[in-house]
Amino acid sequence: MFKKKVTLKILALLVFSDILETAIHFFFKKSVLSQSGFQVTGLASAVVFIKTAFASPFLWAGVLTVICVFVIWSTILSRIDLSVAVPIASFSYILVPLVSIIFLHEQISALRWLGIIFILFGVILVSLSSKERVS
Amino acid sequence: MQPNLFLILFLIALTSLCDTINQLFLKSTIDALKPPAFNIFLVLKFIWGLIRTPKLWIGFIFSVISLCIWLFVLSKSDLNFAFSADSMHYIFIALASGLVLKERIGRLRLIGTAVIIIGIILVSLK
Repeated sequence: MFKKKVTLKILALLVFSDILETAIHFFFKKSVLSQSGFQVTGLASAVVFIKTAFASPFLWAGVLTVICVFVIWSTILSRIDLSVAVPIASFSYILVPLVSIIFLHEQISALRWLGIIFILFGVILVSLSSKERVS
Repeated sequence: MQPNLFLILFLIALTSLCDTINQLFLKSTIDALKPPAFNIFLVLKFIWGLIRTPKLWIGFIFSVISLCIWLFVLSKSDLNFAFSADSMHYIFIALASGLVLKERIGRLRLIGTAVIIIGIILVSLK
């Protein structure tokens, strides 16, 4: 099945969902930051882990943002193919590492940046392949 | 470096798989409904239509499972690593788009997916 190509409106929605997507991952990371040493050995400890995470306001901020993104995605996916929408939404591959460095003080090695560039390049190729189909 | 790199990668693959299943349910639910115009009332009506579809809730269960695994992954590894490695969902989505949704997969997309795989390997090396 083939649907309408990407319009400016859809592109704007995709960029907006990118920013929200980045916020989601930041919130979720913050919600479990205090549990980095927690050992999950079985079902009981897994439940304790999840309960502690769900007690964090950051987790609920994340869930709320997920709902926002879901609403936006519902609109996007009704207009264009999943395989077209997903690659364009990949702008967050740059945003998330940047947020990780600035707000979480993580370190990213040169080799990892190279990997990120490969991933981005791959995503661009995937996007181009879907553009090819518009004829 | 993560103490259990392969365990983390396996768990990320598991969340990617759950997410892909969720996306498939979402896509097939939406395809069955009429796409709305960019009008807030029609969009709300469309979302109400989505909520009443059981398929959507099956997808929802998978996304809750995915979230729980994802939270555990995030507690054990850097956000930038986990997020980059999570791009393996492209592999699953390419497979699912071709096999389940019957979308056409071109040669360029296959190459792109291969490049993403190389990227994931590089990111995992640290």
